[in-house]
Amino acid sequence: MDEFQEILQDFLVESFELIEQLDQDLTLLETQPDDLELLNRIFRVAHTIKGASSFLNFDVLTHLTHHMEDVLNKARHNELKMTPEVLDVVLPSIDMMKNILHTIRDSGTDNGYDVSDMVKRLDAVSNGDTIPEVSPAKSVAPAKAAPQVVEEPVAAEDEIDYENLTEAEVEAEIARLLAKRQAEDKAKREAKKSEAPAPKKVEKPVESAKVQATFADYDNAPAEPVKSSAPAKGAPAPAAAAAQSQSAAVEQTIRVDVKRLDHLMNLIGELVLGKNRLIKINDDVEERYEGEEFLEELNQVVSIVSLVTTDLQIAVMKTRMLPIGKVFNKFPRMIRDLSRELNKKIELVISGEETELDKSIVEEIGDPLVHIIRNSCDHGIEDFETRKLKGKPETGIIELKAYNEGNHIVISIADDGKGLNTEMLKQKAMEKGVISEHEADNMSEKEAFGLIFRPGFSTAAQVTSVSGRGVGMDVVKTNIEKLNGIIDIDSVVNEGTTMKLKIPLTLAIIQALLVGVQEEFYAIPLASVLETVRITKDEITSVENRSVMRLRDEVLPLVHLVDIFEVERVFDTGEHAYVVILGLAESKIGVIVDSLVGQEEIVIKSLGEYLKGMEGIAGATIRGDGGVTLIVDVAAIMQMAKSISTKSMTSTKASVVKAKNSPSDYHVLIVDDSKTDRTIMRKSLEPLGITLSEANDGLEALNILKAGEKQFDAVLIDIEMPRMDGYTLASEIKKYSKFKNLPLIAVTSRSGKSDRMRGVESGMVEYVTKPYSPEYLLNVVKRNIKLNMERTA
Amino acid sequence: MSEKLQGIINKQRKKEEATSSIDEVVQLVGFIVGDEEYTVPILSIQEIIKPIESTRVPQTPPYVLGVFNLRGSVIPLIDLRIKFGIEPQPATPETRFIVMKNKEEIAGFVIDRLTEAIRLNVRDIDPAPETSLQEKTFIDGVGKQQDRILTILKVDRLLERDF
Repeated sequence: MDEFQEILQDFLVESFELIEQLDQDLTLLETQPDDLELLNRIFRVAHTIKGASSFLNFDVLTHLTHHMEDVLNKARHNELKMTPEVLDVVLPSIDMMKNILHTIRDSGTDNGYDVSDMVKRLDAVSNGDTIPEVSPAKSVAPAKAAPQVVEEPVAAEDEIDYENLTEAEVEAEIARLLAKRQAEDKAKREAKKSEAPAPKKVEKPVESAKVQATFADYDNAPAEPVKSSAPAKGAPAPAAAAAQSQSAAVEQTIRVDVKRLDHLMNLIGELVLGKNRLIKINDDVEERYEGEEFLEELNQVVSIVSLVTTDLQIAVMKTRMLPIGKVFNKFPRMIRDLSRELNKKIELVISGEETELDKSIVEEIGDPLVHIIRNSCDHGIEDFETRKLKGKPETGIIELKAYNEGNHIVISIADDGKGLNTEMLKQKAMEKGVISEHEADNMSEKEAFGLIFRPGFSTAAQVTSVSGRGVGMDVVKTNIEKLNGIIDIDSVVNEGTTMKLKIPLTLAIIQALLVGVQEEFYAIPLASVLETVRITKDEITSVENRSVMRLRDEVLPLVHLVDIFEVERVFDTGEHAYVVILGLAESKIGVIVDSLVGQEEIVIKSLGEYLKGMEGIAGATIRGDGGVTLIVDVAAIMQMAKSISTKSMTSTKASVVKAKNSPSDYHVLIVDDSKTDRTIMRKSLEPLGITLSEANDGLEALNILKAGEKQFDAVLIDIEMPRMDGYTLASEIKKYSKFKNLPLIAVTSRSGKSDRMRGVESGMVEYVTKPYSPEYLLNVVKRNIKLNMERTA
Repeated sequence: MSEKLQGIINKQRKKEEATSSIDEVVQLVGFIVGDEEYTVPILSIQEIIKPIESTRVPQTPPYVLGVFNLRGSVIPLIDLRIKFGIEPQPATPETRFIVMKNKEEIAGFVIDRLTEAIRLNVRDIDPAPETSLQEKTFIDGVGKQQDRILTILKVDRLLERDF
């Protein structure tokens, strides 16, 4: 039984792979009905599936494929012309085959399918429309068009009974035919070359030429100009070359369970984190042991490790990459069906299908693309009467293009249809209550385009089976957001619409911008960051209770990260702030943060069962210092921003800094290891009436400060102390942004200039040398804590 | 020879029987939160560590102190004092994080101090007192040991998200 299961698994995997190619081939066949190689390929799929399914006792499937094979075989031998009518029978039969295969995959049997109708139709096609055999003599006209030249030898071999051949024999037969065809074509081309290069009749110039051209752009595919002018994909020479290299490549590949790759990716993730830590430690060590000899060696090791880790990461990422062609493949067929259904002439031009993407993304990107392309067909491209009136070519063109841009892949879907009319969009949106009149008036062009992604919005005058139910584009937005992608729409009325999807290459390890808010840090996926700007607080204005700012010619909604994450306000941030401008799908928002820390490569880790699904948090990562930093969920905070009004943003300081009414509200910390010195300081400051606390050494002082039970207005620090000296204490204190404005005053007997310099370097604002007069110290302290005796008196 | 072998087998069997009767004993780890001593089964504890820094997670109840890094895993941190409605206090040198695990769920719990590992016979464990028999009780049972009473906590209940 296990063995059977194994065979079944292999069968299914193989079948689905074959079918994927099949769809594309069939659509291509419509434009090149004479392409023998295409027919052979299609025939082989039907044949392989038939053979395997009869072995596995899937009788229904065998029955169906057997009759399909009949039709295809006739077509292959030119007994049957692949007219659109014939294709209209063949294509549904392949759909049926697919459905049966799906059923087999899900339930293990092919019962419950009635294929008799389909079989009848197939038989009718294969018997009824049989075209009389072309007699060899007739077609042997040396100077005639290519396809006919080909017909001759094939037709001559019609007597072979394919039904009775074994698999191997069929393969051999196909190989033989192929070789023959190749030889002929080669001869033909040489003949052509020797002739004067007359302008060639190109049936499908746009598609084939473009595809070839971009191939050439992207890699070194052998696409010389001569070849690309030969009839499209059927061109045997490049195809043969490809086939050869493929057969070589096939032996070089092994199937690997995706789970193993995922595991490998996780391990790499850990390694990246380790690397980040190592770099951080290296920096620290460098600072501490400047000039030491071992440093250079350490440096070398660290750079090698980080280099190799990066390479390893890229290599593993590449193993997970799939060409986007896997997704694109199904669209020619879809367009064909759609254009029939909608009665429009539409042509799909695909380029860049070899562009690679992470497997998980390839899986997610299919649905949004289906919706966008359907939308283009239905709403974008006009029917051909309208197109004629507008003076456009009858056939509408949809261009599907994929290319790399930095760490992103861009998929652009362009149609030459009627374009988006912003006024109409706004009108519709107002009718449906999606936006208010006021909002409509203030909308930029891009924002108006973005309306098509709002749930419940549809511009189709009537609901068709294709689109207009108002779900599609909403799905696009959610899916692209899930991938941290950006949607950009460009449209000119009557010229067409271009939609660009910008998607990060991979999901597990990402580049992030680290930002600081008060004492907390957050990581924002760099894929969503458009730019950062530094602003003063008065650049923020308020519109309808929302904060906004003007950025060039755009008005940008603003939200403070403090409000979104309810961060405790410990210190006032001063006049300046940074705005991180986030773009996701089609919307933009400015997020105010206190500081920008930098860019870092981070590995996304989940917060686990207990904390999963926290609003606004996409996960966590481990930083170089071993701490945990949360990753911002950009889509979620855009949502959250809508419910935060500007009020909370302006009520800042009052609650933080308690009003100081009397001198005793001021609190000063004295740090000195000598009891006598502490007493002298205490006595000197007593006249001020301020509250004083004492600490024995640096470490104790730091703990008192960190505990945060008391708010200090100044710290007096002795330099020479056990455990932690004054300089270290000062620089430790300054590491906390909440103590940024806390005055540190050195009180010491060290009076050298270099001592003073070190004091300044470590963040001290005043330097008082012992011995000092009580009045002097008193004044220094008074000045630094801004104690105003007169006002309080 | 075979008699000797039989003897050995018999001996081993006896030993097995002996150990299976020990299985009736539950091993617990005791710790203090506030003024009371609580215990959890030793098998539900992954490890006990000294306090390390944690990162606050927004929009969580106060007893969720945040998340911390345990050798590369991000683990939630819960303060049992706040969870049990006791006034929170700053960390002391005796404060520990107990990392508890139940299947996939894992979390660290802040406790005031550890007491000891306790072996308790299953017979000496009574169900939770009736007053705490409501759905949401954290108490699994009460163990009696000589002169004192041990509260045994439900680990799965502690690890359950209730916000």
